[in-house]
Amino acid sequence: MNKLITDREIVERKTVTAYRKSGFVRELNATLTILSRRVLLTLKSPATLIMSLAMPIIMMGMIGGNLSQNMADGLGFDFGKFMLIGMMVNMLFMMTSQGLASLVEDRHTNFTQEMMIAPISRYSIVIGTILGSAFMAIVSMFGTIVVGLFMGIHLGAGQLLAILALSPLMCLAAGAFAMLLIGCIKSKTAANMAVMFITMPQMFLSGAIIPIGNSSGILLVLNRLMPMTYCLDLTRAVVYAGTPEYSRVVLFNPVVTLAAIITFTIAFLAIGTFMFARSETHK
Amino acid sequence: MNKMIRVENLTKQYKKSEKPAVDDISFTVNEGEFFAFLGPNGAGKTTTISILTTTLSKTGGEVKIAGFDVEKQAKEVRKNVGIIFQKPSLDLDLSAEENIRFHACLYGVYGYRPTFKMMPKAYRERVMELAEIVGIADAMFKPIKKLSGGMQRKLEIIRSLIHTPKILFLDEPTQGLDAVSRRSLWEYLNGVRRENGTTVFLTTHYIDEAENVDKVCIINHGKIAACCSPEDLKRTLEFDPTPRVCLPTLEDAYIEYLNKTKQNNEQTYNRPGNSRA
Repeated sequence: MNKLITDREIVERKTVTAYRKSGFVRELNATLTILSRRVLLTLKSPATLIMSLAMPIIMMGMIGGNLSQNMADGLGFDFGKFMLIGMMVNMLFMMTSQGLASLVEDRHTNFTQEMMIAPISRYSIVIGTILGSAFMAIVSMFGTIVVGLFMGIHLGAGQLLAILALSPLMCLAAGAFAMLLIGCIKSKTAANMAVMFITMPQMFLSGAIIPIGNSSGILLVLNRLMPMTYCLDLTRAVVYAGTPEYSRVVLFNPVVTLAAIITFTIAFLAIGTFMFARSETHK
Repeated sequence: MNKMIRVENLTKQYKKSEKPAVDDISFTVNEGEFFAFLGPNGAGKTTTISILTTTLSKTGGEVKIAGFDVEKQAKEVRKNVGIIFQKPSLDLDLSAEENIRFHACLYGVYGYRPTFKMMPKAYRERVMELAEIVGIADAMFKPIKKLSGGMQRKLEIIRSLIHTPKILFLDEPTQGLDAVSRRSLWEYLNGVRRENGTTVFLTTHYIDEAENVDKVCIINHGKIAACCSPEDLKRTLEFDPTPRVCLPTLEDAYIEYLNKTKQNNEQTYNRPGNSRA
């Protein structure tokens, strides 16, 4: 029996052929698929969504609010705005790192095998998981903005859009750093501890809520070793550009900072992905 | 005839393990062949399957799948194989259809769309057709958690076939299934073999499932004990446990071979001067 082929079906067939043939399109499609799975899982879990909205209340409202009321005098700049930006970037780092722990959970349910057996690059698996976790991180970032509004701290629309535009890079940097530790961990408990180990020192040492312009000695070394230091500094450089506070708030040249972020993100991603793939196959 | 699987002197020794799990094994599987890899628990079946499907590295030897080296051309190998793992590997938080869609898009068969309705017509038709055949069409949009173990296994089979692999690895595929589900599953898999000429590599503890295979390999203590057709294997039986009732089964031959290798191993270990004794 002759089957009528519609124009739509012809387009669909051509698309299917393209996906099968092109390596780059295939990898892009795989990354999007893994990303979408993480978003879908987040949307299907009301507890996760509630947690990602509750975290800003604790971080921004309680910790930030206390610091703002008791320690913000004499800094020479608006501490509320400084802290809001810090907390927004901190949320991106914290929630992306937590999302990456899902790779360990997938190992327990054997779902990792399903991804590892697919004819795709291990980078697609890791980048897809990082960007999928970024969804929850960006929800938390918006929660931080809302808590900030309740505290009377707000940013301009242009500044918010600039931070939003930078957020995928921040999440990728956070995820790549987290992969260094999580990539070779097999226990869920150890993964959760690793997330705490990654996020807590960064929050206090990178200048998210406490200015680090006058740090010295071992603390200065630690400040400079934290990847979030550079992500925060770039974000503040963009937000404070052209303002009198710029020199008091921003530590480094933004071009150098951007280059540093890109370099360590690529390096961490390569090492983390290698360790993740190796821990799966080399037993 | 093309060799779809070529294994030469394959060895795998896990870290912190004193003995190799797979010890210098060699065998081949021809294109379109139905191959059974049998052995008791811990014999090295899953280790071998994991190496053949690129999810585990080998310690030594050479393995080629569809002409591609498992280590140097892993991505090409993965394009050509489908696998049903011994332990279910479904995402229990997704629906049955979402699990299949995820797999099909990972394999680049279709571009990812966020809903079933938005997926290409060819995908929608194929998924529903396969679901009808294995009898889980009504459960396709339910969360996996609500499906029985048998239905989850059938779903894994649909998933492993959605990208029409040349070689299908089945690692104890009917474990935990009732008799009716087992039969319907094998009817479907035999149909797939006939229609597509798919090479099937099976491991199972239900020896009757391997009665109709083209070739059977028995592995014990990481070594190949026998590798031939089921008929040849049965012909070599020294002791026929049911001579007056019926012909010997593959299970009889299988058990005899295991006993033989067990005796051989014991003799080797107990030999004077053997350091492993």
